[in-house]
Amino acid sequence: MLKLLLSALFSLIFILPSNSCLADEDAAALLKKMDELFRSNSSIATMKMQIITPNWQRTLEMQSWTQGMDDTFIRVLSPRKDRGVATLKKDKEMWNFFPKINKVIKVPPSMMMGSWMGSDFTNDDLVREVSMVEEYHVAKAVEGENYRLTLTPKQNTVTVWAKIEIVVNKQSLLPLEQSYFNEKGEKVRSMMFSEVRDFAGKKMPAIMTMVPLNKTGHKTVIEYVEAEFDSELGNNIFTLRNLQTRF
Amino acid sequence: MLTFKLAFRNILRNRRRSILTLLSMGGGFFLLCLTLSMSEGSYSNIIDIFTQDHTGHVQIHKDDYLERPSLYKTINNVDTLMSQLESNDNVIGIAPRIFGPSLAYGKNKTFPAQVIGIDPQLESQTTRLKNKVSQGKYLTNTISETGYYSAMIGYSLANNLGITLGDELVLISQGIDGSIANDIFEVSAIVGDANSYEKMNVYLSLPAMQEFLSMGKNQVHEVVITLENQSLARSFSKKTQDKLVDTDLNIEPWQVVESSFYNSMQADKKGSYVSMSIIIFIVSIGVLNTILMGTLERTREFGVLKAIGTRPSSVFFLIILESFALALISCLLGLLLSLPVCFWLASSGIPMPEPIDMGGITFDTMLGEVSWFVILLPSVVVIASTLVVSLIPAIRAAKISPLQALQAT
Repeated sequence: MLKLLLSALFSLIFILPSNSCLADEDAAALLKKMDELFRSNSSIATMKMQIITPNWQRTLEMQSWTQGMDDTFIRVLSPRKDRGVATLKKDKEMWNFFPKINKVIKVPPSMMMGSWMGSDFTNDDLVREVSMVEEYHVAKAVEGENYRLTLTPKQNTVTVWAKIEIVVNKQSLLPLEQSYFNEKGEKVRSMMFSEVRDFAGKKMPAIMTMVPLNKTGHKTVIEYVEAEFDSELGNNIFTLRNLQTRF
Repeated sequence: MLTFKLAFRNILRNRRRSILTLLSMGGGFFLLCLTLSMSEGSYSNIIDIFTQDHTGHVQIHKDDYLERPSLYKTINNVDTLMSQLESNDNVIGIAPRIFGPSLAYGKNKTFPAQVIGIDPQLESQTTRLKNKVSQGKYLTNTISETGYYSAMIGYSLANNLGITLGDELVLISQGIDGSIANDIFEVSAIVGDANSYEKMNVYLSLPAMQEFLSMGKNQVHEVVITLENQSLARSFSKKTQDKLVDTDLNIEPWQVVESSFYNSMQADKKGSYVSMSIIIFIVSIGVLNTILMGTLERTREFGVLKAIGTRPSSVFFLIILESFALALISCLLGLLLSLPVCFWLASSGIPMPEPIDMGGITFDTMLGEVSWFVILLPSVVVIASTLVVSLIPAIRAAKISPLQALQAT
């Protein structure tokens, strides 16, 4: 009797974690897909960013190049005033370039939570968010037609978010909403994905709307106009020299 | 009528005593008048220098810009506002300003700086900024040959950044439309010294600043007004506020704008009122002494007056009248003595051996002031204390019986 109970207990102990392990692996794969959704191995994209605040509102048009998870290069095309302003992110470092004053400014770690180009995206979003699989534990739950991925930071992860939740559609495996929680468990901001379009044979949401919940009236909408994936990028794109080229 | 006649006869009869009384009371008046003139004068001098430095007498802001400055709290129709203000006779200078805290780049260092957009012409008519240019030329609206707007830079900022006249100054800030404001300017002047208000400031011309922050032509953050006299500030701002159509705007006198300075000055003034009241006390003791001696000496005289049938009330009024007449004459005498001295103090003042530095503004002379307050307060003090002091001997004389009085030695 005792043996039976023990074996039952043992099997419970063994089965439970293995079960969740399996689920986690599945979830991690899904998360990796999320990670690579907008980037693939490499990408070239043109996008529009509309920033709305109670005091002002403006639209930026920009072009971005990405390679793997580490390298990003963004250049502003319009408005005319900001044309040529560029951002280069390589590994964990980040630089901005202002053609008017011909200066490259390195973004210091203290500015990582600062806003990027006045939007509701932080510099940190540009630099860090890409490596979610490496930095977060992930758990998956089924919710009707959707999966809900709950991300909690790993022990060594440096982040301000205590939890990130991603809602993913079961069928298309495309994200619908991504919410960020602070250490008090409050939802601080959420990003909505909408309008799935076909970009060079790849389906992905074309519009991302970032709404900070602690700032009323603020909103940033990014719309992908064109995107091209897995194309060959020369090795001179993600360089400080390219950052400083006037165009 | 008889009482009047008697009173003056009494005053004139004992000339030496009257003159001594006059001198004592007149001296008190003189002392008080000078002290008041000096203290009032140095305060208004400090206020004048202080407000002319950068504050002005009255400031206009949008909403609560004063407590919580924000780039977006702008005065949007500054042209109409300024022409409306110019029509007022009390207004001497009006200067619009734009503020934008920025990051300043020198050769290889960066420092935070307060960037202020000013109208060079109007600013020089309103504050002493133009006189504070220590190197180079005062700001103009024009663009240099190299295509850059010129900028004036504070002494400490210039030192910290390691730049000097003719060098390029790079500023980065946030534009009003959310863009990153960034531009190059050419340093045309260095203002102030290591202690002055401007030490970490950068001054740009209004058009340059509006272009830098992507602002409209008619947008500013602050309008500074100087009046004929700083004492008009409160009433002017109240009157103008009532007349204003645009209720978003707040008009504040310098007492509100620089409330910490004003409050510490008020506290200091309260302290000096203590020493002032000691002087008032000493003056009235002097008056008491002379009046009391004058009446006690004449106890027998009052006895005779009573004996020949003068009513007690007549004796009472006689003494009061005598003291009042003496007080009045001594006030005139004191005024005659103190006015020339006061005027001299108000015009040239006493140079201080060691200039006092207050918030980067130096005071090197103590100036006097001639005003109604300075003249009227000592007069009131001398006359009132005389009347109060003479009450006691007057009541005594009115009550005394003729027999007792005549027997007094």
